[in-house]
Amino acid sequence: MTTATVSRWDRFRESFFWYSFKRDKVAILSFLVLLTMVLAAVFAPWLAPTNPYDLAQIDIMNSELPPVGMAGADPAFPLGTDAQGRDLLSTILYGTRVSLVIGFGAVLLQAALGILFGLLAGYLGGKVDAILMRIADVQLSFSTLMVAIIVGAVFKASFGNLMFGEIAIYMLIFIIGVAEWPQIARTVRASVLAEKKKEYVDAAKVMGFGTGRIMFRHILPNTLSPIFVIATVQIANAIISEAALSFLGLGMPETQPSLGSLIKSGFDYIQSGSWWITLIPGLVLVVLVLVINLLGDWLRDVMNPRLYKG
Amino acid sequence: MALLEVKDLDVRFAVRGGDLKALRRISFSLDKGERLGLVGESGAGKSVAAFSILNLIAKPGYIAGGQILFEGRDLAAMSERELRRIRGNRIAMIFQDPMMTLNPVLTIGTQMVEAIQAHRKISRRQAREIALDRLRKVQIPSPEKRLDQYPHELSGGMRQRVIIAIALLLDPDIIIADEPTTALDVTIQAEIMALLLELCERENVALMLITHDLGVVSQVTQRMLVMYSGRIIEQGPTREIINDAQHPYTQGLINALPQMGEPGGAIVPDPRLHAVAEERALGVPLPPPLPLRQRAVPAVDAGLCPFRQRGRGLLRSEQPD
Amino acid sequence: MLAFLVQRISQALLVMFVISVVAFAIQDGLGDPLQEMVGMSVSQEEREAIREELGLNDPMVIQYLRFAGNALQGDLGNSYFYSKPTLAVIAEHLPATLELVIGASLIIILLSVPIGVYSAIRPQAWLSKFFMGVSTVGISIPVFLTAIVLIQLFSIGVTVNWFPSDTAWGQWLNEALSTEGGLPSYGRGEHLTPLFGTWESGFFTSEGLMHLLLPSVSLASIMLPLFIRLIRAEMMEVLQSDYIRYARAKGLSAWRINFLHALKNTMLPVITVGGVQIGIMVAYTILTETVFQWPGVGLMFLEAITRSDIPLIVAYLMVVGLIFVVTNTLVDLIYGLVNPTVKLTGKKA
Repeated sequence: MTTATVSRWDRFRESFFWYSFKRDKVAILSFLVLLTMVLAAVFAPWLAPTNPYDLAQIDIMNSELPPVGMAGADPAFPLGTDAQGRDLLSTILYGTRVSLVIGFGAVLLQAALGILFGLLAGYLGGKVDAILMRIADVQLSFSTLMVAIIVGAVFKASFGNLMFGEIAIYMLIFIIGVAEWPQIARTVRASVLAEKKKEYVDAAKVMGFGTGRIMFRHILPNTLSPIFVIATVQIANAIISEAALSFLGLGMPETQPSLGSLIKSGFDYIQSGSWWITLIPGLVLVVLVLVINLLGDWLRDVMNPRLYKG
Repeated sequence: MALLEVKDLDVRFAVRGGDLKALRRISFSLDKGERLGLVGESGAGKSVAAFSILNLIAKPGYIAGGQILFEGRDLAAMSERELRRIRGNRIAMIFQDPMMTLNPVLTIGTQMVEAIQAHRKISRRQAREIALDRLRKVQIPSPEKRLDQYPHELSGGMRQRVIIAIALLLDPDIIIADEPTTALDVTIQAEIMALLLELCERENVALMLITHDLGVVSQVTQRMLVMYSGRIIEQGPTREIINDAQHPYTQGLINALPQMGEPGGAIVPDPRLHAVAEERALGVPLPPPLPLRQRAVPAVDAGLCPFRQRGRGLLRSEQPD
Repeated sequence: MLAFLVQRISQALLVMFVISVVAFAIQDGLGDPLQEMVGMSVSQEEREAIREELGLNDPMVIQYLRFAGNALQGDLGNSYFYSKPTLAVIAEHLPATLELVIGASLIIILLSVPIGVYSAIRPQAWLSKFFMGVSTVGISIPVFLTAIVLIQLFSIGVTVNWFPSDTAWGQWLNEALSTEGGLPSYGRGEHLTPLFGTWESGFFTSEGLMHLLLPSVSLASIMLPLFIRLIRAEMMEVLQSDYIRYARAKGLSAWRINFLHALKNTMLPVITVGGVQIGIMVAYTILTETVFQWPGVGLMFLEAITRSDIPLIVAYLMVVGLIFVVTNTLVDLIYGLVNPTVKLTGKKA
C-alpha cells in the first residue's frame, strides 16, 4: 500500500468543504467579516481608544457627541459618545466581546445539554424519550425567548439588581443555554434515531460495548454535522436573545454593556436626536448576527447531502 | 398519416457540468386506435419519452431537438397555452402510482369536474354527469358516492380505476399509460390491465403503454419499441419481436422471461451468468481484488466522480509507485 | 373525532398542570405574602400565628392544591402594586396586546402568502431572490431594533443633506431619502372606542389605527421572514409532487394548479406551524410593547418584574400558558378539520 502521508492541512485543502467554500463569495465575505469582528472583540483592550469600564477615563462633558462627519463631532471619538460621555467605538468593541462570550458560552451549554438529552432520548427511547421530548415540546411551544425572560425575571427577583449585575454574564449563559437546549436535543435525537437502525450499531452491541460507549463513541460522531449546522445558527440566536434580555433590563448592566444593553441605553436618547448611541451598536449587532446566519446557511447546504443535486 | 409521429426527439437534462442526454434522437409513430408498447429497463428513457410528448418533463429536463407531430402539428414547438388544449383533452395520461397521482385534499368529483371544465364550456352539473358515466365505465361500485370521497378513502386499485376514468373523460385520441399497474397489488394488476385494454378497444383510443413487463406488452400491444440508454434499439410488430428478436439486448430481455405456456415458468438464465457460475465451479481464480482506491482512479479520470478535484488529489497521493 | 378531542384535551391539561407547578414554585420561592400583608412591625409569634392561619406551614402538596383550586375559580391573588385581583389587572391590559397581535397577524398573512407563493413559483426571478435576501436579513434583526429604526424613520423623521442642495438632483435625492416622521410611537392614543367589558378598541378610529401601525409592523417583522421561507419551501416541495404534474397533464390552467392544487396542500403544514408561531408572538409583544410603551400585558409583565409584583408575574405566566395551550390545541383541531386525510382519530390515515 501507500507510504505517502497526507497531512491534515493537505487533506483539508482537498476537501469538498474547502472546495465549496472557495466557490461561495457570500460565505467567504461572511467569514472574513466574522473573523474581523471576533478578532476586534478579542483584542478590544488593545484596540479600543479608551477603557469604558474605567470611570477615570470618562468625562461627562463629552456626552452625546455625534460621530465624525456630523456637525459638532470630536475626532477623538470617531463614532461619537454616549450619554455618559463614553467613547462609542470603545464601548462597541467591549460590547461585542461580551455579546460573543455569551453567545458562544450559551451555545456550548446548550450543546452539552442538547447532546446529552438528545442521545438519551433517541438511544434509550421509551419513557425517557417521552418525558424529555414532552419537556422540549412545552418549552418550544412557549418559545425559547419567553422561557429565557421568565428564568431571567426569576433570577433577577431572587438575586436582586446589584448581585445580578455582577454575575450577569454567567447568568445569561445559563439562562439562554437552558432555554434553547430543545433545539439541539431534537436535532440530535432525530439523527440518533436514523443512526440507530444502521448495522454498525448492531455490530458494536454484538461486540459487547456498553450503552454509554456506543452512544458517545459510535453514534455521536456520526451525528456531528447536523449539530454543527444548528449550533452555528444557535450562536446567532443566542446573541439575539442576549440582546433582547439586556434590552428588557434583564441582562448586562450598563456599567458592563453588551450590544443589547448599549442599544437599550441609547434608546432613551433617540427622541432627543442622538440616534447614533442606539443605531450604531444596533448595526454592529445586525451585521454580526447576519454573517453568522449566512455562514449557517452555507454550512447547511454543504453538509446536507440531500441538497447536492440542487 | 400517423396520428402521432415523433421524429428525432432529443431530450436532455441540464445538470452541473453539462447536459445529460436522456433521449438520443428517437423516432416512432402511433396510428389511430393502435396499441404501442414501450419496453426497457429502468433508466432507459421510457418515462422521459412518455412525458416529453406533452412536454411535461421535470425541470432540468428540456426538449433539445426533434419534432412531435400530433395530427401534423408540432407539440414540441407549441406554446404552453396551445399545449394545454391538447393535454387531458386529445392526449390523456395515466401515471404510475395512483397513491401519488390524485391530489389528497380535493374530492374525486372536483378532480374530475375540473378536468372537463378545463376543456369544455359546460355546467358543473353536466360535468358531474359525464364523470358519473365514466366511473360506471370503469366499473367502480356506487359511483355517486365516490364523487364526494377523497382519494385516501379509496384503495389503490380503485384509485387507478378513477384515473382511467379521468383519462376517458374527454374521449381522447391517445392515452399514454406509464407503468399503470406497477404500483398495484399483483392480484389486481391483470384486472386493471384488462379493463384498460377493453376500454381502449371499445372507444377506439390509441394506447401507448410504457412498461418493463414484456409479458404484458406481448398480450396487449400490436407494435412495440425496445429502448436502451435513451435509444430505440428495436421496433416492429410485437409478435415478430417476441418470436424473433434481432438485437441481443432484446433477446436477453425475452430470455429472462418465464417461458410462457409452461406452468411454473422455468427461468432460462442469461448464458453469461452461466459462464460466471462455471468459472467459479471450475475453480478458475478470479482476478485479484484491487483496493477500492486503485479501482477508483480510472473512474475519477473518466469523470465519473462528481468531486473531481477532491477525489483526484486524495487518490493521486496514495497511488502505489 | 371524540377520541381525538379527548387525547388533545388531556395533553393540554397535562401541559397546564406543568405550567401551574412552575408558577406555584415561583410564587412559593419568591413571594413572601406575610411581608406584604403585615410589614416589619409585627412580632415573631404573631407572624407565626398568621402563617399558620394562612396555611403557609402546610405541606407543599396541600399548598399547591389550594393554589390550583383557587386558580380554577379564577382567583390568582391580588397584585401588590395595583391592590386588586391580578386577573382583573390582566383583563384591563389584554385587549391592547390582542389588538397588537391581530394587527401583526393580518400583516403577516397578507404579505407572506403572496410573497411565499410567488417566490416558489418563480424561484429564479430577481424579485424572488430579492425577497429571499431581505428575509435572511430580516431574520437577523431583533424585533426591538426594527422598532427603533421604524421610530427613527417614521416618527422622528430623518433629514438627509448629503447631496449638494444647490443642484436640482441633489435636492431631489435629499428629499427622496428624507422621511417626514410624525407617526405616533407612544401608547395607543387618546380616543378609543369602548367595545365590551374592559375592551377598548383602537381599530375604529384613525387615531387608534395610526398608533397601531408602527407597533404591529415591528411585531410582524419578526415572523414575516419565517413565514415567507416556510411557505416558499413547502410550496416548492408540493410543486415537485406527482399530483401537480398530473394536474398539468389534465390540461388545467397554471392559475388553478398553483392556487388550488398546490396552495391548498401548502397551507396545511403552514397552518400548524403558523398557529404555534402566533402563540409565540405573545412573547415578542413584551419587547414591542416596551419600545412603544404600549399598555398591554407584555409591558405590564415587565413592570411587574421591576416592581417584584410576584402575584402579577405568576398570574401572567398562567394566563400566557393558557393562551399557548389553547392556541396549540385549536390549531391541531383546525388542522384535523381542514385536512381530509386526518380522520380525527389521533392518527394519520
